[in-house]
Amino acid sequence: MVACLLIPGFELRAALRVRPRLALVPAALAPQPGEEPLLGPVTAGAEEAGVKPGMRLGEALATCPSLALVDRDPASVEREWEGVLCRLEDAGFAVDPAEQGVVYFETRGVERLYGGVGPALERALAAVGSGWDPRVGAAGRRFTALAAASVARPGQIVLVQDQEERDFLEPLPLSLLPLPPDRYAELEGLGLRRLGELAQLPGHVVAERLGVEGRKAWRLAQAGRKARVRGRKPAFELAEAIAFPDAVANELTLRRALGSLLERLLARPERAGRPYRKLALAARLVDGGSWRRTVTLRDATTELHRLRAALGPKLSELPAPVLELRLEAVELAEHTGQQLALVEPAGEEAAGRLREGLRQVRASTGTGSVCAVVEVAPWSRIPEARALVVPRDD
Amino acid sequence: MVSHSRGASLGRSAGRLNAPRPALVESGPGGAPRVVNRELVTLVREEWRVVDRWWTEDPVDRRYFEVVLEGGRNVCVYRDREVGCWFTQNA
Repeated sequence: MVACLLIPGFELRAALRVRPRLALVPAALAPQPGEEPLLGPVTAGAEEAGVKPGMRLGEALATCPSLALVDRDPASVEREWEGVLCRLEDAGFAVDPAEQGVVYFETRGVERLYGGVGPALERALAAVGSGWDPRVGAAGRRFTALAAASVARPGQIVLVQDQEERDFLEPLPLSLLPLPPDRYAELEGLGLRRLGELAQLPGHVVAERLGVEGRKAWRLAQAGRKARVRGRKPAFELAEAIAFPDAVANELTLRRALGSLLERLLARPERAGRPYRKLALAARLVDGGSWRRTVTLRDATTELHRLRAALGPKLSELPAPVLELRLEAVELAEHTGQQLALVEPAGEEAAGRLREGLRQVRASTGTGSVCAVVEVAPWSRIPEARALVVPRDD
Repeated sequence: MVSHSRGASLGRSAGRLNAPRPALVESGPGGAPRVVNRELVTLVREEWRVVDRWWTEDPVDRRYFEVVLEGGRNVCVYRDREVGCWFTQNA
């Protein structure tokens, strides 16, 4: 079975770990700086006072004047989520994280170890810890598992058998579908409120009215496709940090600290001679918040001055004095050295630059993002049968 | 955390280039499009039919129209006679 472990409002919960007192009062995750003033997840106290996630800040403060705004803390959210995933992996689950707070895994591999699906899922809940209020849904398909987890109470396990999938999904709200907000309004305008009502419509009619997104939503409302969950390869931590006795805002001091962090990170034996492709610079700020920037290097390197030149300018973007500066290796290159040619053949330089450019695109956007067009039937009278777009990861 | 760069490529597969997209079309008498995606058609430049793969379980029967919209855009739409829907596509 495919299981989905869900921790609603993970970002807020992670930010509240260092300020647990706020979990008991009306509080909400503050809007992203520089973006639309919309609230993130809210606490139970805020919900009782009428504040909802995604509400405009002004409206929320008018509804509940005592609402406490919790600053976003991306570094600790990242750290806490990695901790949750590592605890699940330690318990034997091959996890496939979808986003922070949502992770999928197959139970098949561990059912015999724990004596069935139920005990295995209980083990997963215990591994995460009751402090996070996790809930689990399990079914034959990913979407049904997510839907089951969404209706489960904290600490509860909801199992949906294959033959019950349609009946289970039918009364659930459309808000479970991954659609933009204006699409929900459009569907509600058409009188559709439940997954069952959408699933009953003919697929081509939905596609004609709502386009590709609608077709995808319709397929999910019918429980979606059966697909295996592929666990991630467990990551390992390669990071260095410096804590300051007093908050530091001086750029010269921060640059010196960065230089020291780089030297320490380059000396780590775990990288086994491989150069760094992607690094993250994170900081704990004096007001309790955090800051994080990721840098993908044009050429994977271990040269100190190049790493310093790439990361140094990021320090000027720090919004407040820093209590701790942290440097993390996000991705290492595959190679350990580069063989240079004495005289390069004609055209080799352009081809080499193109290869390097594509490698950089892959490094920053992920594998599978670079594709090639392959003609399969250029003579065909059906336009979409003439060529295919094939991912190129070589 | 250092991730393994090869892991994400699993499960990616080839996709079709120039796949048809559903279109909102109002047709006039004779079946020619009058409005395409809420924009008025000013001229039908060309019309042709594609009938193919009729010997398979997935036959193709399309009536294509190359039209000029009110805004001056050239668009190619077709009515799939198998499913009874309109689509846009670069022919």
